[in-house]
Amino acid sequence: MNIIIRNLKKNFGEKVAVNIDSFDIHSGEILGLVGNNGAGKSTLFRLILDLIKADEGTVHMSSAQTDINVAETEEWKDWTGAYVDDSFLIDYLTPDEYFQFIARICGKNPEDLQQFLDKFQHFMADEILGQKKLIRNLSAGNKQKVGIMAAMLLHPQILILDEPFNFLDPSSQSAIKHLLKKYNEETKATILVSSHNLQHTVDICPRIALLEHGVIIRDIDNSNGQAQRELEDYFEIND
Amino acid sequence: MNKYQLYKLLRKNEDLKNKRHPMFDKNRFMKFLMVFMWLYYAAILIFMGVTMAIGMKGAYNGVAAFHVLDGWFPIVLLVDFWIRFVMQDTPVNQAKPYTLLPIRRSFLMHTYLIRSGFSLGNLYWGFMLVPFGLIAIAVPFGWIKFCGWLLGWWLLCIANGFSYLFVRTLLTKHMAWLSLPIVIHGAIIAMMFVPEHNWLDMPCTVLLNAFANWKVLYIIAVIAIIAFLYYANFLLQNTMVYNEISKKEEVEVKNTAKMSFLNRYGRLGEYLKLEVRMRTRNKTPKMQFAMGIGFMLFFSLIMYFTDAYDGGFMKSFICLYNYIFLGLTTLIGVMCHEGNYIDGLMSRRESIYQLLRAKYYFNSLLLIIPPLIMLPLMIAGKMSVWMNLGYLFFTVGVIYPILFQMAVYNKDTFPLNQKITGKQGNTMQQIISMVILFIPIGIEKLATLALGDPWGYILLMCLGIVGVTTHKMWLKNIYHRFMVRRYINMEGFRATRNS
Repeated sequence: MNIIIRNLKKNFGEKVAVNIDSFDIHSGEILGLVGNNGAGKSTLFRLILDLIKADEGTVHMSSAQTDINVAETEEWKDWTGAYVDDSFLIDYLTPDEYFQFIARICGKNPEDLQQFLDKFQHFMADEILGQKKLIRNLSAGNKQKVGIMAAMLLHPQILILDEPFNFLDPSSQSAIKHLLKKYNEETKATILVSSHNLQHTVDICPRIALLEHGVIIRDIDNSNGQAQRELEDYFEIND
Repeated sequence: MNKYQLYKLLRKNEDLKNKRHPMFDKNRFMKFLMVFMWLYYAAILIFMGVTMAIGMKGAYNGVAAFHVLDGWFPIVLLVDFWIRFVMQDTPVNQAKPYTLLPIRRSFLMHTYLIRSGFSLGNLYWGFMLVPFGLIAIAVPFGWIKFCGWLLGWWLLCIANGFSYLFVRTLLTKHMAWLSLPIVIHGAIIAMMFVPEHNWLDMPCTVLLNAFANWKVLYIIAVIAIIAFLYYANFLLQNTMVYNEISKKEEVEVKNTAKMSFLNRYGRLGEYLKLEVRMRTRNKTPKMQFAMGIGFMLFFSLIMYFTDAYDGGFMKSFICLYNYIFLGLTTLIGVMCHEGNYIDGLMSRRESIYQLLRAKYYFNSLLLIIPPLIMLPLMIAGKMSVWMNLGYLFFTVGVIYPILFQMAVYNKDTFPLNQKITGKQGNTMQQIISMVILFIPIGIEKLATLALGDPWGYILLMCLGIVGVTTHKMWLKNIYHRFMVRRYINMEGFRATRNS
């Protein structure tokens, strides 16, 4: 599934949050989005997910069979999974109940759910399922894991994760990187990941967009991991 | 910075908090409505003060009008107490942002308690008492008596305010503390209404008369009570603020019922489970439910054991109130709790429609409770079955559709599990609540007047049945209108989350 962005603009008062003339994310790509605080990464994700209204422009999701404007229909919700922040979580449910809820409203049967959860056993590290704890009582890292898993639960063709490495311990960060790569290889899903962690972004994303003041200022090919140096120079990490 | 400067800074921050509340910050109409409603209620109180002063004059065999009013002052204080739940925050909540700053906790508590005591809210009843006192005391008995009498009322309101703060703070610990005011207020009302003559008439009159005559001992006694309540609050708030900082949530969930019987309803069943869990696992909805049941029982018991509410209007009002209370408290703020996780809901297809349906069915099912509570009243012949059927169907088929319209317009997130009320509910919600409380009675009374006794209720039933049978249609309409306004609402929910 492709994501086609055209003339997309969003201002908050005087501040330009997003201003993208034209940007295409191709089917099966893992795109990394990097930028300083306030660059507009989360706002761009929210625009793609139709959670805020664009001042101008459109976001289309398209494939050989379909081409839809996300602001005009809810159809895209059937093939899109996302986790932006904890406002995606229903915190008075236990993780087990939350996964069941998402699975059922997405039409998955209990066997599908169990298969899905089995794949994430290592990632969950016995701290999430069967704990009789509400999501609101989980640690920030475990909440993050629940959000990421729920986004992947319906096997989306488009997966959008805002700062997925935040709050995770090093082994979970490594685990989620492998899970995302594997998921992309198996399903050819389009994956968008934003992060402040350049190393992780470079590790998993063959293409990286650098966003500043709402504008994509660089579209970097990272098919051979060559973006590392360019990003480090831009963010002045080695000075 | 000295203590006075610090006090001024805290006061300024508190004023800014109210002034910059997201609900009013960008909404001039809401500001206007707030001022309008404030003036409206003030005008009602002035009207009540004037009419009571004139009406009571000479109506009670030579007893001075103000003695008659004084005999009923506990009722004013009871109303004042419960109204505070929607108007007044606790010092614990107010002090929370400052607890990790280098400000003495005791200073914070004293600041907010003193501000509560001297709050202008304690003078609001003055809109009724001043015109009443001017006519009934100042003119016949002189200004000195008037001032003393007014001082008495003001001190009693302050004491009432501190009692409220005490109970309200305890409620954050456990909902069972709600039984404290219910029992005390129930006892007060019983003493006033159950015996042939109001048992509290004499002591209340004596107390306020003592103020009117500036009897120092009485004044000192009431001030001592205020000082005691102040100190009790100080100790309690101090402890509670410490608990808030080092708060440990109850981690193990007790209620993990799977509710598998709802699985057969597919996606709707899942949203029904969600609604049940939302209501049973969060303090605010649980509290609303408990208060609703408490009020229903309270009024029904009074009606059963006394003849206080035997008038036609009051019967209708209590019956209707019992049917709509549970729905009113939650549906007037429909979607406001969901504001906490609106992004998650909005990223699923047609989730809002299914959620609205689930809410409608759940709230309709809750209407099993009011007839059970009012069954003894029906058996005792104090309330007709027709009245119950009329209001039941009218609630589920007309009032609920009206309340559900708020799903299109509500855009303030309500905290699910933090506090009991706080400033929940805007003026639009208050106006709709008022309309809902009185319009059905008006329709019923007009129809009864025109067609005879049970026909008013039959008309309400018929209107209700139309609403029930078309519920999918109007819910779909609300869902479509919600989707049209979704950006505005989502922005509002995000802006008011955790505020």
